[in-house]
Amino acid sequence: MNKKGVERKFAAVVVAAIICFSLSVNRVQAQDVATGAATATVLAALSVIAAQNLIFGNIYQGVASTVANNINASSGIFNILGQGSAGISISFVLPQFIALADGSDRMTIGFSSTDATVDSNNTTPATVVAGDGWINTNPNNLPAATVIGAAGQTNVYLGGRVYPSVDQAAGAYSGDIILTVAYNGT
Amino acid sequence: MRRLFIGVTLFFLIAASSAAQTITVNNNLVFGDMFPGVPNTISKYTAGAAAEFHVSGTNGAEISIQFTLPTKLTKIGVSIQLIFFDTDCAIDHRPNPDQSSPLFDNLDPWSTLLYRLGVQGLTIYLGGTAVPRIVQPPGAYTADITLTVAYTGA
Repeated sequence: MNKKGVERKFAAVVVAAIICFSLSVNRVQAQDVATGAATATVLAALSVIAAQNLIFGNIYQGVASTVANNINASSGIFNILGQGSAGISISFVLPQFIALADGSDRMTIGFSSTDATVDSNNTTPATVVAGDGWINTNPNNLPAATVIGAAGQTNVYLGGRVYPSVDQAAGAYSGDIILTVAYNGT
Repeated sequence: MRRLFIGVTLFFLIAASSAAQTITVNNNLVFGDMFPGVPNTISKYTAGAAAEFHVSGTNGAEISIQFTLPTKLTKIGVSIQLIFFDTDCAIDHRPNPDQSSPLFDNLDPWSTLLYRLGVQGLTIYLGGTAVPRIVQPPGAYTADITLTVAYTGA
């Protein structure tokens, strides 16, 4: 083959190669982008309601009065609402006294280590049984394994005892009982 | 002239044989059910919950890897704070990647990462933390995680 023939062949190959390269460049992506997702489902919010105060009613100077935790009409009742079967941490802040509205006199109040009941089956203070939760447990150290009932509610019942002095001033006494609840993630 | 001819031909053959890189989303970053007020962390080592991306392409080629990360999960009108720490990413380019013990661990997903593809490509794992508020409205929240890869030519 002479020199001109070789050059023509070479030129033809170069042209073919350029076409081939152009096609191949089109096939190879410069970059790729993909979009994944982050997802979460937030469960029901937690709330607590003081459904009924702890009611001692009328009491006499010098005569201590007790309200048990299983009295429908007078035990303290708290309703905790949230995600069914979720684990929660619950704790009371209990008063050491109750007072007249103007603060002029105070009356001692006490809570024993059996004054609380935790009911995850939403019965009533008078009808709760052991299988519903924890009966007669310590209000200052409520059970760590407490859960919201399967129906989305757990109740806490509270009793207590007041000790009026012999010269206790007459009038209406009150004090705050605070129940704090939080999901513990279980 | 003959040598030049051969060299040009080889160049174009090599260029024509380069494989495109592609990304497959094997798994989303799934926080699942969350309680209001309780932060939830998904480890990059947790199969089925951590985000997992697979990149395929030319064995041995270096690629740049860049995330566009969200800062919150959202549903209509509300959001949850989303945190990605500078160790929440891991990469493995071995033929059989091990999510529980990845070859390249504790990588910063906020930085551009440079790694080479293996025989089977490369797998990227991503964890994260969601922080719902105590009064977080219930419902399903989502966010996009965008991954961009490109050959660096190295």
